[in-house]
Parts: sequence; C-alpha cells; structure tokens
Amino acid sequence: MTETQPASPAKALLLLPVLVLLGLFFVSVFQLFSNGFADADGWSLRYFRQILNRSDYQVIFARTILSSLTVALLSVALSYPIALLLWRLERWRNTLLIVVLVPWLVSLVVRTYGWLVLLGPKGVINGMLAWTGIIEQPLALMFNDLGIVIGLTHVLIPFAVISILSSLLAIESNLEEASGVLGASRFQTFRRIVLPLSLPGAFTALIVIFLASIGAIVTPIVLGGMSHQFVGSQIYQEVMYTFNLNKAAAWSICLLAISFLSLLLLKAIERRLIGTVE
Amino acid sequence: MSPAQPETLARAAPSRAARGSINVAGIAKTYGATTVLSGLDLAVEAGTFVTLLGPSGCGKTTLLRLIAGFIQPSAGSIAIDGRDMAGLPPQRRPIGMVFQNLALFPHFSVEENVAYGLRLRNVPESELRRKVGTFLDLVGLGHLGSRRISQLSGGQKQRVALARSLVLEPSILLLDEPLSALDLQLRKQLQVALKEIQRELGTTFVFVTHDQEEATLMSDRIVVMSAGSIQQYDTPPVIYSQPANLFVAKFVGELNEIPGRIAAVTAGTVEIDGPGGRHALPVNGTRGFSPAPGASCVIGLRPERISILPPDADAGGRIVLPGTVVERIALGPVLRFVLRCGEQRLVAVRLASHGAALPEAGAACRIAFDPADAQIFEPLAPPAAASFGEKP
Repeated sequence: MTETQPASPAKALLLLPVLVLLGLFFVSVFQLFSNGFADADGWSLRYFRQILNRSDYQVIFARTILSSLTVALLSVALSYPIALLLWRLERWRNTLLIVVLVPWLVSLVVRTYGWLVLLGPKGVINGMLAWTGIIEQPLALMFNDLGIVIGLTHVLIPFAVISILSSLLAIESNLEEASGVLGASRFQTFRRIVLPLSLPGAFTALIVIFLASIGAIVTPIVLGGMSHQFVGSQIYQEVMYTFNLNKAAAWSICLLAISFLSLLLLKAIERRLIGTVE
Repeated sequence: MSPAQPETLARAAPSRAARGSINVAGIAKTYGATTVLSGLDLAVEAGTFVTLLGPSGCGKTTLLRLIAGFIQPSAGSIAIDGRDMAGLPPQRRPIGMVFQNLALFPHFSVEENVAYGLRLRNVPESELRRKVGTFLDLVGLGHLGSRRISQLSGGQKQRVALARSLVLEPSILLLDEPLSALDLQLRKQLQVALKEIQRELGTTFVFVTHDQEEATLMSDRIVVMSAGSIQQYDTPPVIYSQPANLFVAKFVGELNEIPGRIAAVTAGTVEIDGPGGRHALPVNGTRGFSPAPGASCVIGLRPERISILPPDADAGGRIVLPGTVVERIALGPVLRFVLRCGEQRLVAVRLASHGAALPEAGAACRIAFDPADAQIFEPLAPPAAASFGEKP
C-alpha cells in the first residue's frame, strides 16, 4: 500500500467532476437494466424472450457477429502490409500516416454515402464493369452483408494500421541485423522476429475493430438497408421509430453481453497464441 | 564465470586455430563529401583479442560494420580467413556480432535466443540442446536457460548475447561497445569474463570501445584510431610506453605536455628550449617525426616518471626544475600530485608507501625527471586533434 496524503477539502473538490461522470454513468446503466428487465406491467423477461426466440432476430445476431469478425480479420489483413510499408519508409512515415488518417476528418455519414455512390446498382463500380462489358447485370454490392463489410472495413482500417505500426515501432532497431548475422534470410527474419513481435498489435487491432464493428449503427443502416440489420441499427429503430424503450434496452443488454463475452474469448485466444506479453 | 571446459570446445579447438585472421587492405569509406575512413590497412592474426580504440566519430564502428558486412567499402578489400569478403552479406561471413544494445529477441527465452542460429542451420534437436547447454555454461548462465529476456539483469543479458553469437563458432566475434551501458563494477567483471572466454575459445575478438582502460585491460593488441585513420597498432604496453604520436600518447594514459622549441639536433641528443632553460634529451625519445632546429615540439612525460625530490637530495643525472606542490591527493595505493613549475602545470603519481618523504600541498619542491623518460612529439595540428571528419 502506498502512503496516502491527508485529504483536504480543496482536493476533494477536484474529485467532483469525476463523481458527476461516474454518477451519470451508473444512473444510465441502472436505467438501461431496469428498462430491459421490465414491461408496462412491471418486472418481466418478455422482451428478452421475444428477442431470443424470433428467428429473424437470431439472423441479426448472427450477421452482426459474423460480419464484425470478417471486418476485423479483413482490416488486420489489409492494414498489415500498410503498417509494414510505413515502418520501412522512415522518411515518408509521417506523410503517409496523414494519408491513412485523413478520412477521419470527414464525417462518418458522408463517407458512408460516398460508398453508396461507388457501390450502388448504377454506381461507379457497376457502371465501369458494365461499360467494359465484364458484367451485364449490376452486381449486388450493397443493401447486403457485403456492403456492410466493405463500409465498416474502410471506416475501421486506420485503427489497425496505427495499432500494428506502434508494435512494429517498438521492435528494437537492430534485431533484424542481429538475426541476419546469425544466419537468417530476410524472409526468415520477418517470419521469426518481426511477425511475432508485431502480433500483439495486430491482435489488439482485431479486438478493438471487432468491438467497434459489433456496435455499428450508421454503416449498417446506410449500406445494409432495411433487410440487413445489425443489432445496433435494430436498437436505433426500436428507439426512433417504434418508441419501445424496454425492447431497445433488452437489445442493448444482449449486445453488451455479446461484446463482453467476445472480449473474454478473444483475450483467451490471444494469451494462448502470443503468450503473456510484457 | 565458471571456467567450463566442455568437450565440444576442446575438440573444435585445433581446427579453429587456423581460422580467424582478418586482412584489411586500403579500406576507405566516404558518405558524399564526408570521409569516414581513409585507406586503412590492418592485419589481425587468428586468435587475437583486438580492440578498436578511439574517440567517438573516429570511424571505429564504421570499420567494425565494414568487417561485418552491414556496409560496403568505397575502396579497398577485407579478407577473413584469407577469403575475400567483397559483396558478401553478414549472414554469409564467418562472423558473430554483439551489438551495443545487445539486440536480444524479447519474445524468446534465454535458451531460444542462443538456439536461434542453430535452428536456422537445421541442427538436429539433440545436438542443438547439447550445444546450447555447453555455451550457456560457458558464459555462466546454465541455470537460467528457461528465463525470459526481460527477467535478466544487464550483465546476464550481455552473457546471453555473447553465447548466442559464440554458439555458432564464428571465426571472428565483433563486439560493438557492448559494455558501455553497464555500471563500473559490472563492467569490470565482464571485462575479465570476456577475456577469459576469448582465451578459452581462441576465437578472434574485435572489440570496439572509447575507453582506453578497458582496451588496455582486455586486448592483446590495440588499434588506436583518430579522424578516420589508424594512428598506431600494437600491444598495450608498447602503445603506452612508445606512442606513435602525441594523439596516441594523450589518448592512452595520462600525459604531461611541456611545450618547447628545438634548439639543436646533434648525434644522439636533441636540445630543447623549455621551462627552466635548455635541456638535452636523447634523440631516440622522439616519436614519429624528425626534429629540426627552430621547430616547436612537445615534451611528453608520464606522471609516474616525474619524481619529487627533497631540497638536499642528489639529482643523479636527472633534469631538475624548481616548483611548488599545488595539490596532494591520496588515491589508495598512489598519491597524485599537482605541481606547478612557472606557468607549467604537471601531474605526478608516486607510491603512497613513499608518502612520508614527500612534500605537502603548498610546499616548494624540486621536480625531477630522467631525460631518457622524456618523449618528444610534434604538436598536434588543431583540427586533426579535434575529432571526426574530413581528412585532407
């Protein structure tokens, strides 16, 4: 135990903003749970039963989890080469990093609508493919899971680049030289030294992106359309259109549970795969 | 460190004796307009502990990296074991290297770090285990094989880095200031340990340092470098007692510098005008230049060569200058005196056991030295003395 300094009223005052924030947080969580486990007549599990038993809702859960997993894996796979490039090109690193991050300066909604323009049935991609004669009917690139995955991957990729790059930058400068002197080829050095040492960053990216994606709202609404809901967009609908706050709360609790369980599972996999990384 | 004598080492010893020679011929390295190394020649015999010694920026690390193959020379050639190394990458040269920051693999255990090079060579598991064990014992870490790198102390990490390189039995081990980050006590221990291991294995060690004491303690031979060229290449005692020039004399050991002007050169003696008048010094005390009358010079005296005489003592053929004691400092076995003779400040070191007969601070004294102990140098040209850089 470290020694504590004597508390003074002035210092206690500094805690006030934190306490207000914490208070609001607990009140809202309490509200969420009391809404979720109740209906108009009092305590009830009615909405949970409703959500978990309806097969179209089960599809939404499955879509949310599987698409988010795809997004997470795709983001890490696509950003690893980018991070590696940024790591190698020391001189251009900062410039290229700005290029990677610049989309964040544009609103999420605007970027998602940008994809609408690209992916739509008469959008840029289908237009080009039809013009070159590769396809006759437009491809279904949006209002389906594919559209959601493309949109979310694009939005979340910078997280992965930064996370992987930071673990690459943490590698001591001449480990590669040392590996070379000991007889390793460039590929062997990458496989045995660089890749394992950058895995923690890649796994962090995987977890963060999965969790961010599982709660996505805007992208599924815009690129998934009415027929392809995510849990997040379903909650949005319950709140904004059907005004069923109890059901929305029950949805939210399910989402919370999924996030929490996946986090535990992913962390367990990480430990098994990478070992405890100090 | 336990002097382990594992059978692999004993068995491998005869074949290794032939390996480990380095021949550097006319090596130069320039970056644009900057010359880092200018035409070096160096021949290292197999089994030698050689130290590249010099101030930072003198090119010693560049020379090491050229031998390792991390960089290619602008001119000249390097041969190891008689084979020309031109164009060969580090992994195809018979070398090992211990880096300044050690560059241990943090995601491997101690054993796996040492086994890394063997695994790359597809050494069978049983032989690999045996070799890793042998070399971990050699560096005194046999009991820590399963530790993670982050659980080791600084000195233990040094030993892992050493074992990781030595387990591949290279002809030459290159060490780039590996002890510089350690505290003094640990550094001294490891200096001794390194020397013992080198002697036991008979591997050629090329060790880079800017610490002249470290170099003197460990090396069979020292390469003193300055401003991209080799100033002297010899054994530590020769470098100390017969330095090639004033730079070497000042860099290795302490030196009193007395400015003078050459008055006359006769057979056997040089007459020099200096503090206290004209002194005749033996001509074989001149280092690295031919004295000409009228030229300015520096008389160099090691502190232990300066005596402090009582007022009535016989000088016995020595040159005597009048002076005063400025400071008298007890440093364990020796006494260190700071003396003044006119404007000239001199440092003398005497045995503490003779201290009773020696004057206290503030006292007048007679400063004496044997002409045969005086060395005559050409004064340093200011830019060459300074440091790194463009050699004309």
